[in-house]
Amino acid sequence: MSLWRQFVRGLRVLGNRKAADQEIADEVSHYLDEATAGFVSKGLPPDEARRAARLELRGMTTVREQVRGYGWENGVDILFADLRYAARRLIGDPGFTAVSILTLALGIGASTAIFSVVDAVLLRALPYPNPQEIVRVWEQSPKGRRMNLAELNFDDFRTQNNTFASLAAYDYRLSSVSGGSEPVRVNIADVSSGFFKAFGVEPSRGRAFAAEEQRLHGAPAAIVSYSYWQRYLGGATDLSKFHLRMDGAVYSVVGVMPESFDFPPGTAAWIPRELSAQGLSRTGHNWRGLGRLRDGITVAQARANLSTIARRIKERYGKDVDLNDAAVVPLADAMVGDVRTALLTLLGAVGLLLLVACANVAGLLLARTSARRKELAVRAALGAGRGRLIQQFLAESFSLSLAGGGLGILTATWAVRVLPAILPANLPRQQDVAINTSVLLFALAATVAVAASLGLFAAWRAAAGDLQEALTDGSRSYSGTGASQRFRGFLVIGEIAITLVILIGAGLLGRSFLRLTDTSPGFSQQNLITMEFSLPTPQWPERLDQSGIVRQVHLVQDIMTRLRANPGARSVGLAGAMPVAAGDDLPEGDFIILNGQKPPANYAEFGRIAQNPSQAGHALYCVASEAYFSTMGIPVIRGRMFGEQDDWNSPHVAVISESLARQRWPNQNPIGQLIDFGNMDGDLKPLTIVGIAGDVRARGLDSPPSPIIYVDYRQRGMNANSSPTILMRSAAPAGEIVSAARGIFHDLAPDVPVKFSTFADEMGGWLADRRFLLLLVGLFAAAALALAAVGIYGVVAFSVTRRTQEIGIRMALGAQRSDVLRLIVGEGARLAVLGVAIGVAASFVITRLLSSLLFGVSATDPITFAGVAVLLSLVALLASYIPARRAMRLDPNTALRYE
Amino acid sequence: MDDPNTDLIQGTLDMLILKALSLEPMHGYGIARRIEQVSRGVFKVNPGSLLTAFQRLERVGWLNSEWRQTDKSRRAKFYSLTRSGRKQLEVETTNWNRRASAIARLLKAEG
Repeated sequence: MSLWRQFVRGLRVLGNRKAADQEIADEVSHYLDEATAGFVSKGLPPDEARRAARLELRGMTTVREQVRGYGWENGVDILFADLRYAARRLIGDPGFTAVSILTLALGIGASTAIFSVVDAVLLRALPYPNPQEIVRVWEQSPKGRRMNLAELNFDDFRTQNNTFASLAAYDYRLSSVSGGSEPVRVNIADVSSGFFKAFGVEPSRGRAFAAEEQRLHGAPAAIVSYSYWQRYLGGATDLSKFHLRMDGAVYSVVGVMPESFDFPPGTAAWIPRELSAQGLSRTGHNWRGLGRLRDGITVAQARANLSTIARRIKERYGKDVDLNDAAVVPLADAMVGDVRTALLTLLGAVGLLLLVACANVAGLLLARTSARRKELAVRAALGAGRGRLIQQFLAESFSLSLAGGGLGILTATWAVRVLPAILPANLPRQQDVAINTSVLLFALAATVAVAASLGLFAAWRAAAGDLQEALTDGSRSYSGTGASQRFRGFLVIGEIAITLVILIGAGLLGRSFLRLTDTSPGFSQQNLITMEFSLPTPQWPERLDQSGIVRQVHLVQDIMTRLRANPGARSVGLAGAMPVAAGDDLPEGDFIILNGQKPPANYAEFGRIAQNPSQAGHALYCVASEAYFSTMGIPVIRGRMFGEQDDWNSPHVAVISESLARQRWPNQNPIGQLIDFGNMDGDLKPLTIVGIAGDVRARGLDSPPSPIIYVDYRQRGMNANSSPTILMRSAAPAGEIVSAARGIFHDLAPDVPVKFSTFADEMGGWLADRRFLLLLVGLFAAAALALAAVGIYGVVAFSVTRRTQEIGIRMALGAQRSDVLRLIVGEGARLAVLGVAIGVAASFVITRLLSSLLFGVSATDPITFAGVAVLLSLVALLASYIPARRAMRLDPNTALRYE
Repeated sequence: MDDPNTDLIQGTLDMLILKALSLEPMHGYGIARRIEQVSRGVFKVNPGSLLTAFQRLERVGWLNSEWRQTDKSRRAKFYSLTRSGRKQLEVETTNWNRRASAIARLLKAEG
């Protein structure tokens, strides 16, 4: 009540200060009149009565001021006065103001933009109810490696745990989906019954899966994503008319998930895992695990619970299983994975940039403050309290920072709109990047922190030392004490050191990037056009029969023949996945070496043989066509590649990669060896090794060459383990070839979705996240370098002004121009050397955090360190050379008289 | 904001103003005179402190003010007690009496 009254009255006074002052004046003068009348009635003559009354009041003005000084509104008045004064001062020095505001806008804008990404990807909760209860689940090997779940182990986890409200298995794959407005190649997910329950999300349209859709050979049903429904089903309300054909089966659409539901990311349709037969394996790690914890259960408790079950499985099955523990990780953490380091690196770099920006503005403020010391001394002498003086500085720094912060937020808003174009595709949750309340709060907090620290810093430096001295200082052109100049020097040293850290980070990332792009994948990358497509394939463990393979081969051969007929086509090959760029699509597994034994009759026997380490090996599985190796330019090391004679009826053959030969058959000739890799394609017919091919970095340029077993697609067909890709080497422009190829696919296989691209583009996508990180850190480094250069220039130029007289004397005493040059440049050089030394020392510690992002260079790479140090020193010398040249050209006569 | 040179005991000015106004609305000078007269000249009120105190008490909600004609047909600012002002006076009076009698007992015990 009384607070309200305080507030309203104060506002009323603020609203009409004049009327309020008049009222006080009236009251005081009435008091005076009454007091005079009082004295008169006591018998004093009117003149004396008036004097006595005035005496009693002790000055009307004082009383008026005393009364007027009561109330909170006076603080506001003073604040406004300070702000007005600050604004006048800033407008009066437009150069300083513009540079400071732009510098702060750069720092705050860049930080805000990066924070908006960090907020969306790392900080914001997942859009599901109680997201902290949702976890990913893995089996864990004795070596601590996380593995997906094997069917029977998952069943045990699900039925024996007492810590999960729901535990689900799921997997996803690229598949062709037709039945919508056009066939598309999209991700579909097989999910077990607890999947949607674990998320606590239900379809927003239609219904969840019914019981008869979640059993073996039940009614095939699918739930589609909101975006698939919008794009390919026209957003229709009646779902009953839609039937999607996926992998040779037809699924009726029963529901649509809400727009916000996107898991696994990019999934277009979910189908019940229970519809198809499950393998009965404890070592086939085919399923990803996901669950929701029960109320009040911690991740650690859940993990302990699953560990116990895992150990029980290990005790019971011993050597037949490869797990002995389990891992449980919150879903949000699991999704972010490796991105975390990259994002934190970016946040660190941008934070350092903000520091450099602040140091720069602090340096500018310091120069102004020292010029203001005299004014301050006068104000202090006139009785201004410390608080009032500090408030004055804060008013100035807040005006600057708020303008800078506002401009920064505008910049960040723009940046957030531009960012999606450069964000790497594999960054999770990037569609959520936006300027929202928490991002704005971050920007505000940064602005206020900058303002407060700059203002207090300026006030502290201004009040440092004896103000009396400033008053008595004779020189009119007072331009700062040695102490404040030294302090600016410290700031610049700090700036150089921080800039060096960012530059070294950018340098290390840049060198890694160059190393990576210089790394040969094992084949020639030029003029390679890629066509990824999918064929309807039966799901494991159902195998392709001979007629299925023949149909596939027919289709693919027809397509490749027509492609080869294109003018400009040099050669055309087929592989089970595009190496490097889509190398993760290649499956890997254990194969067995028969050593004269007869091939296993079934998988149980296969598994027994694989137990014997002398008979087992591990490799990637890749189907390939005859011309694949020549098309890619993968060299033949020994033996032969696939040939005309290798068809379904002839003995099945395999080509292995050089690294596999070296690993598995050291100092032996693997050619002629009989192996079995039937666990990959469901055909236990053994393979004879006929050749050794050159190594390929199939899994990515940053991985060592993988051991690979190539099989002939005409003998083994392409099941779900293959992501068939036609690769075509051509001299003609990619655009022409692609439009011709599009026509060919349309003629021969209208239902087959294809993705046309070039290998270079696909590699660009593969490198996108590294390029993004490098680009941004490089930008921040360049900005910091520019700021540091400006900082050095500012200090040295100021010093030249201050030392003009001294330079004049030196020249008059016979100093040469080169001496003056050396004197001034030396000043900049000293700052640079100190800054670089500190920066190098700091970088030795800090760059270690980057290790996981580097490739082929160490975190303390001497070339990068030396190169960056030299670069920064050169920039520092250049920045001090400009003012030095001015000093050199001073006319000693003028300089001597300079004040 | 309080003038340290006041002749009043610290913190009693508010109570005296409230007491003076408990009979009838008065203007500033009237209140000053009343306090002086009733205390038989023991307390002299500093006009600056008095007028500032009016501002404070009005903001807190214990006083209302109003410009009115005086009997000398001049405009003056008259203050009157609000309901909560009256309550406050009671509280302060009780407190004061308790403290005063305690001090009196202490002084007597020592004498």
